[in-house]
Amino acid sequence: MRAWQASAAGLSTAAALTLSLPPLRSLIEQSMVWHMAVQMPLLMVAGALFGVSCGASCEAIRLPALSWLRSCNHYGLSGFMLTLCVSAFWMLPTSIDRAVVLPAVDAAKLATLWLAGLALQRSWQPAPAAVHLFFAGFALPMMLWLGLYMASADLRLCNAYTLASQQQAGQALVLWAGAAAMFWAAAWARRSARAVAVSRRVTVHAAPPSPTTPHRGRAGRRRQTLPASQRSAARQKW
Amino acid sequence: MAEAPTKLLPTFAATLGVLMLGLAALAWATDGGRSFTTEALRRSQVARAPVVLPEFTVVDGLGQKQSLHGLWAAGGKVWIVDFVYTRCTTLCLALGSSMQQLQAQIVAQGLAPRVGMVTISFDPEHDGPAALAAYARRVKANPAVWQVLSLARPADRRQLLDSFGIMVVPAPGGEFEHNAALHVVSPQGQLLRILGLDEGAQALSFAAP
Repeated sequence: MRAWQASAAGLSTAAALTLSLPPLRSLIEQSMVWHMAVQMPLLMVAGALFGVSCGASCEAIRLPALSWLRSCNHYGLSGFMLTLCVSAFWMLPTSIDRAVVLPAVDAAKLATLWLAGLALQRSWQPAPAAVHLFFAGFALPMMLWLGLYMASADLRLCNAYTLASQQQAGQALVLWAGAAAMFWAAAWARRSARAVAVSRRVTVHAAPPSPTTPHRGRAGRRRQTLPASQRSAARQKW
Repeated sequence: MAEAPTKLLPTFAATLGVLMLGLAALAWATDGGRSFTTEALRRSQVARAPVVLPEFTVVDGLGQKQSLHGLWAAGGKVWIVDFVYTRCTTLCLALGSSMQQLQAQIVAQGLAPRVGMVTISFDPEHDGPAALAAYARRVKANPAVWQVLSLARPADRRQLLDSFGIMVVPAPGGEFEHNAALHVVSPQGQLLRILGLDEGAQALSFAAP
């Protein structure tokens, strides 16, 4: 399982990087679809897959820098904010043009989008519904609006791409926004189902409240029996 | 369940820091939120700080070579410049017709001693003197007002386009797409202003106030 995830993370990272190097670079230079609707999402997916594949072993690493980063990311707030800023930046037509023309900007694009994917994955579990809703409600309509605008406008937004290429990229962006919304909805449904299961188990056992240790990770949370005072909080969360 | 407020302080500080950095990056990339496209950015940068254009050798429809800086300086005129490739069947037609209107206005208002027009081909391999002369006939260019030129050395193409900020993108069917605009150039060879194709009147009043 872990090996499969690690190789998926490695492969997607390598594929996204290869698209920025010759000979495949001509694809992203000539087609906005390859640049904006293939390479950019692939970078975020690769970063997220890296987060999934290192999973528990990442949590076990006790580097001071990492624990400092974790202490700055309660409820996944900073991670979501980073993802939002990075994705907004790379949706700008000027940024896309610069990444085509300037190698240094392209390198920054590779690094920041990959990191944004990783940050989103690391922040996914700790983030409560409100944080998810806020950021999904911001990022997805932004993508959808830009996609619809690009698909319908007669004005070239990027000097680096033809109008036809921009319109195709706009349609692809609309599809991505839809796919991301469905993924988000599915994750919500799964989480709320789990929260219901947890609260049922709590009612059945009616165990005396024991001093709970601070829990980390999915497995720990699932088996947790919550004290009565915390049951409602768990239900509220999802 | 709620964390102690002091434990959340680093998170709030980090989130705020990320937001500030993100906004700063967005402001940097868009010239303070004014230009979201490269084309808008190019136009506002030129309007704020004129660009000194490099020297090139150009060739006209008769095959005569001349220095571009020599041309800018000749007669102390301000020039309105556009870029085409003469095989173009799409945007350059619009460009050609807005240049034609401009020529008509220059003649009608008697501005010919003060304002000149230059069309430069960015496709010197295909656009030799014969193609330039055919294009000039097609758009009815009056040689006293409007010159149609190409680069004498095709190797200069990249530098010419970069100096004006033009990006030429190959399109299907052997066509090109490029950011088309009207460029106002001073007799000293400075790029002063970039205006849209539909802003011919403004270009003219800027060139001959």
